[in-house]
Amino acid sequence: MTAEGGVQYSKIAEIKGPLVVVDDVENAAFDELVEIETKEGERRLGKVLEVGNGKAIVQVFEGTTGLSISGTSAKFVGKLMEMPVSKEVLGRVFDGLGRPKDGLPDPIADKFIDINGEPMNPEQREYPKDFIQTGVSVIDGMITLVRGQKLPIFSGSGMSHNILAAQIARQANVVGTKDDFAVVFAAIGVQYSEAEYFRRSLEESGALKRSVLFLNTADDPAIERIITPRVALTVAEYLAFDLGMHVLVILTDMTNYAEALREISAAREEVPGRKGYPGYLYTDLSTIYERAGKLNGRKGSVTQVPILSMPSDDITHPIPDLTGYITEGQVVLGRDLFRQGVYPPINILMSLSRLMKDGIGAGSTREDHSEVSNQVYDAYSRAQEVRALAGIVGKAGLTDIDLKYMDVGDVFEKEFLTQATDENRTIEETLNLLWKIVSKLPKNEITKIKDKYIDQYYREN
Amino acid sequence: MLSDSLLAKSIDKILEKTEKEILINLENSFSTAKQTLDDSIPKLEQEFEKIISDGKKEAEKIEKQIIGSSDLEVRNKQLLALEMAIGEVFTKALDQIANTKHNEDYSNLIKTLLDESTKILGTTKVIVYTNSKDKDLVQSLLSKYTGAELSSQSINCLGGVIVKSKDGAMKFDNTIDARIQRLKPLIRKQISSKFGVGN
Amino acid sequence: MAAKGRIVWVSGPAVKADGMSDAKMYETVVVGNSKLVGEVIRLTGDVAFIQVYESTSGLKPGEPVIGTGNPLSVLLGPGIIGQIYDGIQRPLKELSKASGSFIGRGITTTPVDMIKKYHFVPTVSNGDVVAAGNVIGTVQETDLIVHSILVPPDHTGGKISNMVSEGDYNLETVLATTEKDGQKIPLKMYHRWPVRKPRPYKNRYDPTVPLLTGQRVIDTFFPIAKGGTGSIPGAFGTGKTVTLHQIAKWADSQVVVYIGCGERGNEMTEVLVEFPHLKDPRSGKPLMDRTVLVANTSNMPVAAREASIYTGVTIAEYYRDMGYDVVLVADSTSRWAESLREMSGRLEEMPAEEGYPSYLASRLAEFYERAGRVRAIGSPDRDGSVTLVGAVSPSGGDFTEPVTTHTMRFIKTFWALDAKLAYSRHYPSINWMNSYSGYLGDIAKWWGENINPDWLSLRSEAYGVLQREDTLKEIVRLLGPEALPDEEKLILEVARMLKIGLLQQNSFDDVDTYCSPQKQYKLLKLLVEFYRRGQHALKEGASLADIRAMSIVSTLLKARMDIKDNEISKLDQLDIDMKEQFKSIIGVKITN
Repeated sequence: MTAEGGVQYSKIAEIKGPLVVVDDVENAAFDELVEIETKEGERRLGKVLEVGNGKAIVQVFEGTTGLSISGTSAKFVGKLMEMPVSKEVLGRVFDGLGRPKDGLPDPIADKFIDINGEPMNPEQREYPKDFIQTGVSVIDGMITLVRGQKLPIFSGSGMSHNILAAQIARQANVVGTKDDFAVVFAAIGVQYSEAEYFRRSLEESGALKRSVLFLNTADDPAIERIITPRVALTVAEYLAFDLGMHVLVILTDMTNYAEALREISAAREEVPGRKGYPGYLYTDLSTIYERAGKLNGRKGSVTQVPILSMPSDDITHPIPDLTGYITEGQVVLGRDLFRQGVYPPINILMSLSRLMKDGIGAGSTREDHSEVSNQVYDAYSRAQEVRALAGIVGKAGLTDIDLKYMDVGDVFEKEFLTQATDENRTIEETLNLLWKIVSKLPKNEITKIKDKYIDQYYREN
Repeated sequence: MLSDSLLAKSIDKILEKTEKEILINLENSFSTAKQTLDDSIPKLEQEFEKIISDGKKEAEKIEKQIIGSSDLEVRNKQLLALEMAIGEVFTKALDQIANTKHNEDYSNLIKTLLDESTKILGTTKVIVYTNSKDKDLVQSLLSKYTGAELSSQSINCLGGVIVKSKDGAMKFDNTIDARIQRLKPLIRKQISSKFGVGN
Repeated sequence: MAAKGRIVWVSGPAVKADGMSDAKMYETVVVGNSKLVGEVIRLTGDVAFIQVYESTSGLKPGEPVIGTGNPLSVLLGPGIIGQIYDGIQRPLKELSKASGSFIGRGITTTPVDMIKKYHFVPTVSNGDVVAAGNVIGTVQETDLIVHSILVPPDHTGGKISNMVSEGDYNLETVLATTEKDGQKIPLKMYHRWPVRKPRPYKNRYDPTVPLLTGQRVIDTFFPIAKGGTGSIPGAFGTGKTVTLHQIAKWADSQVVVYIGCGERGNEMTEVLVEFPHLKDPRSGKPLMDRTVLVANTSNMPVAAREASIYTGVTIAEYYRDMGYDVVLVADSTSRWAESLREMSGRLEEMPAEEGYPSYLASRLAEFYERAGRVRAIGSPDRDGSVTLVGAVSPSGGDFTEPVTTHTMRFIKTFWALDAKLAYSRHYPSINWMNSYSGYLGDIAKWWGENINPDWLSLRSEAYGVLQREDTLKEIVRLLGPEALPDEEKLILEVARMLKIGLLQQNSFDDVDTYCSPQKQYKLLKLLVEFYRRGQHALKEGASLADIRAMSIVSTLLKARMDIKDNEISKLDQLDIDMKEQFKSIIGVKITN
């Protein structure tokens, strides 16, 4: 990120929270990049949130700590915030604003791109339907990910979302293709150790040279987090749509992003929506999540796996809630499973992949995939009901059929769901495990699978 | 006696039965042992294979990691080397600019810079700063800008001007240094493409 | 005179300009050097408050604002069907020609191809006197749609002259001229209409004809009438969009307007990819030939999202005025309400609940009031309808939030989606205890006359079983199922069968995705018969285990998928088989 020439204004009217109000501004544009210079000559970046009547409200990414009314000046740079991109960004580490953090020089830009991006024209989108094999059975079998999808992981504090995301990043591929792929990782206010875990995981799999890392860790400025996902996605779009790569973007943790947004909104004294988050949180989040997709006539794709921690594991909290309304499904981690030591601790009943139906079936996975996974959903949901019942009336009060469903629940969790962090299962293995679960049920309990598939795959045991 | 022989018979029978049972048991345990052994062979083989394949996996992982890291290291060294070369070109170019004779072209340049600056600030009532070398030139041009004054303070730069509004609220840096800084990303791209690296 | 002002303030989609004393409320204005489209939403002195329909990044105070003199309007004429528009009727295909895969700014296009020729057949002649709303001729717009060319509703009428003869003309051709009081007005194939103003009609009818959607839980249990209003609220992941897509695909209307209002981009793409390949079950023609899409996705400018609802409903009313039944699906009215909230916040208006403006309720009421079955103005007589179905996305799935509660006041059919059902993959996850339909009584007559007189009583009996099950479930939760007598266990069993065999519907299954009213009736009848015979069998000494063990049970559960619409006589055979099996279990008991 380099700042350019422009008029420097030094009449600072007000500093509050992350905002600086500059007076007597004649020549500034909405959303324009601003370079703030402190008395001591330190430079910080910001952007214009509101301009008019000789006044500009500037949001300072690196925070306003240490700024004073006199001696601070604001330079309106005359352009929007841009990210320099080129193929050489691969293998690089940047900070939360897109500046090098690895001791290497600024990338020599092939292009400078406005980090806000432009909305994809829905008419020009290509409907995503290429199955991505992650090697994680429960995802491939039940919550299938496809290229160009946005599928978040809803987690809670301390759970294994990073391990899961790293495993997906290492193992994800599209069966039978040799396309170029890349990983863009954006750490948004997470602990250094979490970011480092991810970096090491990429390094160990030899994927670091195909990755771009943007790191805003917990001790970095909070307002910078507004920018981090945007620079990351700008690079991702470039890699995907200019260079034709298939890009997996991991954004962690979007809760920190939303909190930074709330901080700015509070400083602007806006009327808050739920839990103090601004009323435009949905729209704002969508300008990030909707940057996933595929485009007609272009080779690459941007697939997003945002991670967010649900405050108090509450899925109705505005952040997971609004995210779920925008993304194409969600992978929900369950505290109970996590406590039992299950990895990955995915609560399958609350999870969903909206694009699954078009990514599976004959030609991509297997013709029976949809039906067998529907049946397993149904059976596992029954198993949970039976378990709850058994908790009250005891096992003795259960019917034979109920006991079979108990069995289904156990096999599902112990053999299908549970998997090692370096275990990479093929889709065949995954589907066979699903049939193993279904085969625990008598045939007349199977209401969602066509007879021809039952004849072909059902194995009594 | 009868009872004795009956007893003996019974004992015999029991013994015989016991013997048979022992035999059967022996046979059973033998076959179980054999079975266990037979069973454990594939298991052992599996175990063995697992150890081998785990080792192989680990080796592959390390290999991938080494190849990946060394590729990256080479590339990064290249980037650093390129940056050094760019730096040298830059220093040379700046030296050249600093030593340029001030001819008429240069005077026109300064005029353009002043025009641009006052237009952006929207006023000619400004204070102009420049380096000691350009002071006379700038002073001679200022008469065309009503209200413009040259600052007695000189600044350190290659050339060009910094223009400030009189109340000090606005400032525009139009030194050659600042302009080069603005263009630096583009200049770097040009230099690097001359080296045939980068893109 | 058009207003000419200057920008004085910019904040997101909101712009203030001064020198605008000539501007009118809701006038369309051109904003800034990049010529963005905006609309005046408040006037204070000579300062106009403008909502801008495009991204305002880079906009500066001092740039010009120019009034157009016209309110935000849509162009109504042939060529609309099959299009995908943004919130202010710009065709997305044309936008992509100008700016590629991403949506650029300041692009002007016409909503339809103005030079495309249509074969015009006049229906009036020189010398005829026409009034507003009269049909002057027709063109074939798509295979499915005969497009009536209307005298605009705000036209003064007059005597026709210079009528063209039958032939191929484009939209700009003057087809005829009207003359009244010396004033001559040309008539073309199109006219414009302001989106915020409902189009007039002669009179309104009671909605008595069901809108058949092919979805059993809707048609059989919670029906909506043509010209009615319905709302479908649900937390994310409950299948709102799939249900709305199903309605858009299979509803027995002639025109469908689908508004993606602040929703996902890929969902619109899905419609675009899928609809041209899907066949309308009645005409056999591609569904795209009757569909118009208005797509203002969540990441597109928020002010245009506010407009998209009005753009869509005005188009719907236009086809209604030709005598068509139109369904308008709006996904999601919550995002529309949020755009109101955002603009209201920027206007610094006093907020009501959760930051929404106090006029939220009245805006919702105005929108839903544009539904209805009407007699159009002008001659010949035409009856058409606009059915409005709005999705609501309550935050946190909480139905007590303002958008849901206000919507419930203005709609008559409520399909409550239930996250618990969705988690157990019961789709469509419409909760049968919380949903309702205010049209049941009105449309029962139609079912009685067209399908079978006992429809309403069968429906009530089935619904009664579901209600009984709901109370019994409490007991089961406490004591286990074995605590119940067989008669009550039968209710649980039949409720399970109703859920799997009737209420659930697999929209991705080729057969199950659409269910004709005849098939719906027969499935309903079979399951109710099962219940009646089950009760009888228990009285005759059979056990519940015997009933459960009958092979007909799983056959009935799969019938919705196994038996196609064109072979529903097979369902009659199932009835005979069921009777036999019941007979045999009773027989067994008696011989013992």
